[in-house]
Amino acid sequence: MRRKSFLTMLVFLFILSTILVGCGKSEKTSGEKTGGKGDTAQDTLVYGRGGDSVSLDPAVVTDGESLKVTKNIFDTLLDYNDGDTSVQPALATKWEVSPDGLTYTFKLRQGVKFHDGTDFNAEAVVFNFERWANGNADTFPYYGSMFGGYKNDESHVIKEVKALDEYTVQFVLKRPQAPFLKNIAMTPFAIASPAAVKKYGDKFGENPVGTGPFVFKEWKRNERIVLEKNENYWLEGYPKLNQLIFVSIPDNSARLNALLKGEIDLMEDLNPSDLNQLEGNKDFRIFKRPSMNVGYVGLTTTRGPLKNKLVRQALNYAVDKKAIIDAFYSGQAEPAKNPMPPSIPGYNDAIEDYPFDLEKAKQLLAEAGYPNGFEMELWAMPVPRPYMPDGQKVAEAIQANFEKIGVKAKIVSYEWATYLDKAAKGEADAFLLGWTGDNGDADNFLYALLDKDSIGSNNYTYYSNDELHKILVEAQTVSDENKRNELYKKAQEIIKEDAPWIPLVHSTPLLAGKANIEGFNPHPTGSDKFTKVEFK
Amino acid sequence: MAELARNGTPVQNEKVKEESVSLWKEGWRSFKKNKMALVGTGIVLFFILLAVFAPVIAPYEINDQNLSMRLKAPSSEHVFGTDDFGRDIFSRVIYGARISLWVGFFSVLGSVIVGSLLGIIAGYYGRWIDGMISRIFDIMLAFPSILLAIGIVAVLGPSLKNALIAIAIINIPNFGRLIRSRVLSIKQEEYIMAAKAIGMSDARILFHHILPNSMAPIIVQGTLAIATAIIEAAALGFLGLGAQPPNPEWGKMLADSKDYLTQAPWTMVFPGLAIMLTVLGFNLMGDGLRDALDPRMKN
Repeated sequence: MRRKSFLTMLVFLFILSTILVGCGKSEKTSGEKTGGKGDTAQDTLVYGRGGDSVSLDPAVVTDGESLKVTKNIFDTLLDYNDGDTSVQPALATKWEVSPDGLTYTFKLRQGVKFHDGTDFNAEAVVFNFERWANGNADTFPYYGSMFGGYKNDESHVIKEVKALDEYTVQFVLKRPQAPFLKNIAMTPFAIASPAAVKKYGDKFGENPVGTGPFVFKEWKRNERIVLEKNENYWLEGYPKLNQLIFVSIPDNSARLNALLKGEIDLMEDLNPSDLNQLEGNKDFRIFKRPSMNVGYVGLTTTRGPLKNKLVRQALNYAVDKKAIIDAFYSGQAEPAKNPMPPSIPGYNDAIEDYPFDLEKAKQLLAEAGYPNGFEMELWAMPVPRPYMPDGQKVAEAIQANFEKIGVKAKIVSYEWATYLDKAAKGEADAFLLGWTGDNGDADNFLYALLDKDSIGSNNYTYYSNDELHKILVEAQTVSDENKRNELYKKAQEIIKEDAPWIPLVHSTPLLAGKANIEGFNPHPTGSDKFTKVEFK
Repeated sequence: MAELARNGTPVQNEKVKEESVSLWKEGWRSFKKNKMALVGTGIVLFFILLAVFAPVIAPYEINDQNLSMRLKAPSSEHVFGTDDFGRDIFSRVIYGARISLWVGFFSVLGSVIVGSLLGIIAGYYGRWIDGMISRIFDIMLAFPSILLAIGIVAVLGPSLKNALIAIAIINIPNFGRLIRSRVLSIKQEEYIMAAKAIGMSDARILFHHILPNSMAPIIVQGTLAIATAIIEAAALGFLGLGAQPPNPEWGKMLADSKDYLTQAPWTMVFPGLAIMLTVLGFNLMGDGLRDALDPRMKN
């Protein structure tokens, strides 16, 4: 009897749960219908990417994952054209440069408001530049590497920033800086609301307030960042999207699956090997980002055997770049021989790369006093990067290359923010990393990544060469294009000889998205403004 | 006198030996009748042989990359095909047996030693020592075992050795509890009472009487635990917390192949099969041993 009632109970429970499941489902579909509003076009774009942002205060970071989000929350005085890095008006409508190249006067756009309702004006611009100049390499790393240091440094380029009237700002420089306008247009130097910066202090990176096309709404770490349309955006009729959501899906295949299932609308860092899976599918299209990057192995010049130039050269001889590109980029990359890509003026094509030559590598190692090789760590990034869709695999291939000359590399990986932090502190022996240019100027590669001024910010190898420093600083002040390019060519020769890096590749980053996405032109800098993007 | 004593001892030993031999003999007899158990033993022996003779059997150097030969389907040249670095999967699976068996065996050996020691102490001395040890076991068992293992590896740093240690630690309470309950029941047996009465030391009672009498369940549990340990090692390897590249650990091989599931299924199938077969082998063998040695199963 008891048993029977127990069975009835079970059956009842089963039926009940089935009904409940049924209810849940129908509710969901009806919800979707109202959300979709019948046949009106989709207005929420979900962007799938490999890693999360480090901070949403663009001035305190240098990593692409942070900047590609802040690009949409903030505006800069100038912005880049679609598709290249020539400058166009943004928050500044007009600008004048004095003949000596020392004074820049910007006329600002009127009637622009920050997301918190406060006014954008000359005072706000001055406030932001003062804030950065009063910082240091720890607080505002990128500012230092683009403007030669901070307030009290002799190398600091900006003498003063002053508000001439409510909508006019003047920059006075200590010495001319050729890429100054391009630098001003860089995503990190976006104008933040002074009221919000004061209000949130250290927490501003989690509560960003700018003037950009989208307003920050929510950030769940390692999961999603939700931005909403800025109804009062200064560009009439834009943005088109109502919501822009960045989700982090570290695994490239999982991200592709999410796209195929419709969970996301657009994804970056498509595995080159998955290209053929999408080609020929009418529902999706491939976007190719114009290449302006470099992927490299950094050889920290202050650590162990890597202090020795011959060892670093030997490691350069030991890496088979072509095989790595064929295997892990499916041809969507070219081998790198310089720290900057060929599309950038000043690229030295006359340089001959270290050939793949194990005998030569062994010989150099022996000469350096390590005939039997040595042991070291090789750091591999945990997240796909545009310049390296799969760092772990590349690391394994390089590990096998090194093994052949007796160098035993232990592959080490950390969570992304930790990885960057530890590498910046010089704690890695050899590490994989890369760089996507932020302003299309050679200065943004060579000075930002390899000058001694950039140690502590973007010069992770702690490479320091006074001759190179002299050349790079001179190149900043020279306005004659040809002379500048000559200086950069010379700089690349010095860097090749000192070998602080093993330059690996310049890749063409691949993105994939729904076929009805319009107005999306991947920008070479890797940070896209979604103002004009919409669904057909 | 001396002669007599010397003559006396062997006789006594023989008797004990005979008894214990008959116990194991009986177990073996029933084990032999169990077909599945024999199959399991066969599989285990097969993998042990593979592991031992790996250098002789493997046709290629396991870490030799040949990027131009990557993701090639199985052929006469590479029977299991090649992975994404152009390495021979057959050779790597064979060497993988070494790693998996090594981790499985030694992690379980570690947990058996530590677990038995703690279990015996808890069971024999009781009181607050028992309370303390048992609570520690309870706390450890409250965690999902793989989570605990991940936590331990996170503290120690990811490597095969640390994965082994982590797996050994998470299995300690299983053995500890098993032995403790054995000790609790054996403690009441008359021969232990007798041993105590004639003034035998605790250590002697524990290691010469109680422990040998608890061997059967340990062996059964140990064999089954090897199977779980192999899976756990593979899981840690899959998550990147166990074996580090270029070690051909099976779980790591699975992780490496997940991007090529559709293009090159063989990169996943063979290491997957290897894990499945070894685990199956140890489970069948363990079940057989339990049927043969556990007195409760005889009815």
